[in-house]
Formats: sequence, C-alpha cells, structure tokens
Amino acid sequence: MIKTSAVGIAVIFIIFFFYQKICNAEEKCSNFFSGIDDFYNDYFDDSRFFAEGLYGIPVRDYEKTEKDEYIAFEGRIHFETTHYLDYIDFLAGFGPEIIYSGDLLVDIYEEALRYETRELSLFLRPNSLFDIKIGRQILTWGTGDYLFINDMFAKDYISFFIGRNDEYLKKPQDSLRVTFFNDIVNIDAVFLPWFFKNTTPTGDRILFFNGFKGKIAGEKSNWRYHEPKKQFSNSEQAVRMYRNIGRYEVAGYFFNGFLKNPRGFKNIPDTVYYPPVTVYGASVRGPFYNGIANTEIGYLDSRNDRNGNDPLIENSMIKYLLGYSQGFQNDLTMGVQYYIEQMMRYHSYKRNLMNKDFKRDPFRQLLTYSIRKEFFRQTGYINIFVFYSPTDNDVYCRPSVGYDINDSLTVMVGGNLFWGEKDFTEFGQYEKNTNIYIRVRYSL
Amino acid sequence: MKRYLTGFIFMAALVINTLISTRIYAEDISADEIVEKANLMAFYQGADGKAKVNMIITDSLGRERKRTFIILRKDIKDGGEQKYYVFFKKPADVRNMVFMVWKHIDTDDDRWLYLPALDLVKRIASNDKRTSFAGSHFLYEDISGRGINEDTHELIKQTDKFYILKNVPKDPQSVEFDSYNVWIDKKTFMPLKSEYYQKDEKYRTIEALETKKIDGYLTVTKSKASDLRTGGFTVSEFEKVQYDINIDEKIFTERYLRQKPRKWLR
Repeated sequence: MIKTSAVGIAVIFIIFFFYQKICNAEEKCSNFFSGIDDFYNDYFDDSRFFAEGLYGIPVRDYEKTEKDEYIAFEGRIHFETTHYLDYIDFLAGFGPEIIYSGDLLVDIYEEALRYETRELSLFLRPNSLFDIKIGRQILTWGTGDYLFINDMFAKDYISFFIGRNDEYLKKPQDSLRVTFFNDIVNIDAVFLPWFFKNTTPTGDRILFFNGFKGKIAGEKSNWRYHEPKKQFSNSEQAVRMYRNIGRYEVAGYFFNGFLKNPRGFKNIPDTVYYPPVTVYGASVRGPFYNGIANTEIGYLDSRNDRNGNDPLIENSMIKYLLGYSQGFQNDLTMGVQYYIEQMMRYHSYKRNLMNKDFKRDPFRQLLTYSIRKEFFRQTGYINIFVFYSPTDNDVYCRPSVGYDINDSLTVMVGGNLFWGEKDFTEFGQYEKNTNIYIRVRYSL
Repeated sequence: MKRYLTGFIFMAALVINTLISTRIYAEDISADEIVEKANLMAFYQGADGKAKVNMIITDSLGRERKRTFIILRKDIKDGGEQKYYVFFKKPADVRNMVFMVWKHIDTDDDRWLYLPALDLVKRIASNDKRTSFAGSHFLYEDISGRGINEDTHELIKQTDKFYILKNVPKDPQSVEFDSYNVWIDKKTFMPLKSEYYQKDEKYRTIEALETKKIDGYLTVTKSKASDLRTGGFTVSEFEKVQYDINIDEKIFTERYLRQKPRKWLR
C-alpha cells in the first residue's frame, strides 16, 4: 500500500515536472525547451492536471463514525495524459494510444495516502469497422441522470455522498471493450474479467441501515463483504447495441454478472454478498416538445432467486425510467425524471419477509427534479438536484453553487441533504449523514 | 480585315454590354440575395473545414479568460445542414471535452457534449442559440450562423464598399435584439460588421479584424464581439485554417465523441 502510493507519487511528480517544463502543453515555450516541446507534441497530448481540496461537515447528529467532526477532509492531485505509440511499427497503422489518468489522495479522514489508477488503457483503431480499448477504464452508458438501469458498471456512492466531484461517482474497471461499427447497428461489447463492486456505505464514514441489526449503524458494523472469486466463470459481460433512427438514439442492452450493491445476505451474521444477475434492457433518447426526452427500461433477472422465495436475495425487478429536460433562455436548464422499480414475485417476497416492519413497496417510485442556472458568462452557477420517493417517503437533495475565479481556480459549495420518514429506505437511512462541503480546484 | 474588325466591335459590345448589365444587376440585387450570398460566404466556405480557435475574453474589469478549441465542420448541403465537432483544449477544466452539433435549418439543432472523465455522452437540452458560446461574447449563432429565414432583410444603404442591411426578427420573442445591421462587402459578400439594437440603443457589435485568403477561400481570421453596455469583449483568432480536407461524415458520431479523431485534431 505504502509502496504503491510512493510509486504513484513519484510518477505523478515526474510527469508533472515534465509537464510544467513543456510549458503547459503547448505554445510560448522558451527556446531551451522547444525540443522537449516537439517531443511532447509528437508523443503526448491532452494532458490535464489538477489539485483539489475538499472539506465537508455533517450538520445532523452524525456520530459513531470514524470521525464525527467532519465527513470529508482531503486533498488530491490528479494527472492524465495520452501517449502515442506511433513509433511501434506494427501498431502504427492502428493509431495506438496509451491513456493514463491517476489520482493521489491525501485522505485526512481515513488517515491514509492512497493512489488510484483511474485509467491505464491501450486504445487501437484497426480499421473503420471497430475500436478496441483494453485495460483500466471508465465505462458509462444509458440515458438516466444519476439513475442507472442498464449501466451496471461500478460506482462509488461514498464519493457521491460526501461531495467529491461527479467524475468520482464512476469507478474505473479493468476490462476489454470492443466496439463494432456499421450502418445497421453498432455493437459495444465489454468483457470484465473480474468483479468490481460499488463503493457503498459501511458505517465507518456513512451511517447506514444495518439489516442484520434492524437499525442505523456506524463504524462498529463490521460487515463482511463476500465478493465473487476471481475465476473465469465469474467474469462479467456487458453489451450495448445502438444506432440512430433519425434524430433518435435507440439502444438495446445486455449484462451478465453480479449486482454491484451487496443485496444478498448470507446465513452468517454480518455477512453480505453480491448475487448474480442478468439484465436485459432498452432505451430511446431524442428531441421531444422543446427539449430532450429519454426512456429506458431494464429487466433484472435475479438468477439465484427467480421465484422470489429466498428472503436473503434481492428479487428480480423491472426498472422503468422516463425523463425530460429543457433549456430556457439565459442559461437556465431544468429536468424531471420518473423512475419505477417493480419488484417481481412480490407475494413470495411478502410471505417470506423476515421482518414485516421493513416491507418495501412493490412499485418503488422516484421523482427527480433538476435545475441549473449559469451566471456571469457561464463562470458561475447554481445547481439543484432532488430525488424524492413518494413510496418510500424520502428525499435526497444535492444543491451546489460554484464560481470559476479564473481559468485555473474554481470554488464550489454544496450539500448532500437526506431526509426520510423511515430508517430503512434508500435515502432515509442516510439522514444523519446530511452534510455541507466546500471544494476548491486548481487546474493546469 | 473588316470582318475581323466587325467581329472585334461585336465582341467589345458584348463585353461592355455584359459589364453594364452586371453592374445594373449588382445595383438591382435584392436584400435576400445578398444575405444568401453572405451566409454562404461566412459559414459554408468549402465542403468542409478545420480551424484552431483562440478566444480571449475580457470582462468589464479587464480580467482575461482564454478558450482554445479545434473546430471541424462539414456541410451536408450548401446553405443547409451542417455538422460541427468542437474539441476543447482550454481552459484546463474542460480540456478534452467535446461538443458536437448537427445544425438543422427548419428545426432545432441536435447537440451533444462528451465528458471524458465520466465517459458520458450527454444530449444537450438547450436549444437557445442566443446564449454565450463557451463563456465568450460570441453567441452560438455567431459561430454556426443564424438561419436566414428567421429575419426579414432590408437593404438600407450602399456605400462604395458595402451593402448595409437591416435585419428584423420574424419572431421577436425568440431573440434579445430588436434588429441588427450588417455591413457586407460588395465585392466578396463577406459580412464584416454587425451592430445589434434594442430599441434605438446599439448594445452589441461584431467586427472582422482580419481576413485572409486560405486555400482559395476568403476567411475571417480574427474577429471581435463587444458588449457595449459592460465594456466586455472577446477577440477570436482562427489558426491552422484548412478547407476541403475530406472530413468523413462519420467523424460526427458517438464513436468519435468517445475516442477523438486524432488525425483531424492535430
């Protein structure tokens, strides 16, 4: 761990030093560095660096966590670049690129120095018919705004809940992505050799509803998370088929793997796992009225509990999403979404439920509303995103205000506000984690 | 010899006649025709094109912000549909983001934004073309052109060099101006200046500061948009301009949003 971090730091600093020397990626270099500049321009591109600080404090009775006085306190440096491998003769015709993106995080909350490779992949474009990307990469598809049905790639909800930038909601995964292009239908095929779970609250930092104890729990939860073993039979596959029909984007999806949240309970106390699932779905997105509408559907086949009799495994589900967003004059945009999770075999679920107090609705519904207004020639903004579930009677609100002080320095203040009538619902369980935060980023 | 002379006189007469009629034609040209030619001149040069654009945005307090992007354009039909691919280089916070537009004439444009950090292809709901482009004093319509059918055009004045046209929006609710005047070069039909009015107040101007002939096409390589009320302005410079480079229409698809067309962005 320390070794990895040290290597990470070294790599980032060497590259950053180099990067600084070549005069901010382009132009206005001193003569001395023009040679390096040429070298850089021939072999590297699109480099980006930022340093970011985040400090967040809880505003409710946040206790029994690792640190009760703050919920986030960290500094991070990020570096990314693209390196062209054109000098390797047999690859040169394929436009080979190595894409790297990495973060070094000084996490004062966790009292840890962590290095993470966000991307390290080889990209090849052998011909007009297909692209290949192999290695660690971020994968995203689907049409929802913060609501994912067919995007079964790993996410980091702790980052999301404590005020990190949106880009940290997506977790990178080791994978092979091959995309085939033609006029009939494009096919995106992803092979994920090993499982990457969602980063979900464990009680250490985010208090959550502990199903074993039947109440909100903190750091002494000590759950054991059984992940699928690294073996070929546990590899995951994700496929998207998509094309445009006129101005509409139409897609079909398939995923075979595991749930990314620990929704399976072992018969051993405090032990959870990730049940196998297969997902079939479809989506359409395109112009509607004065804006953009999208609809998405997905059927999640809970392979180990098809008849719904096992109360320890999440039942099969159908998820539906309908969304609409519209822009107005003066940089104002609003969006609404309506989302339903229909539980299959609800009667079996009800019959086998161990604690009737925690009964879920057969049609969990969620409404989201978002509004974004930009000011001062798009250098300042106010953004609010609200989730509200009429069936769970809970709310999650994400307000934020930001301003770009200059081209390098941006400051933003935001909040993660949770409220719920009951302790066991999706957002209600996080009520005590309600927080406000400030984030400052310096980019080069 | 006489025959030749007659022939010569006949030819000369024909040429002079043609010249005169051209001149008369030029005087007679309608406002709509001028606008049509100017539109092709300003936004449809060549079958496709590429440029690196540097913008310096200066606000009312003199603070500067920089924007750099590479823009690829392909005309589907001259004077009609176009596709744009805009790859951002600066500022650092938006570096590697891609903005793509399918410009339509009689309906709203389709716009996408690609956010590389999330591998997210977003469809942009906003169809407000009178909003700032990348935070500059240029508006979307200044970059990709305003539909010529959206205004009525009137030739209000001619000078030795310019046609001066007054343009009034057919749907005043959809725009912030009441009218604008455009100075169009008589020889080239390149629009070189625009002044925007609200009631009688001139509040906004756009002017070409420099033009060059590139690959045989007249090109505005430096222009300035000013907000007369605040004193803020943006100067935009076009570098590495190229025309007719056979940009494949497939570049303007999701494939190249997710993985940039490197060859075209160098």
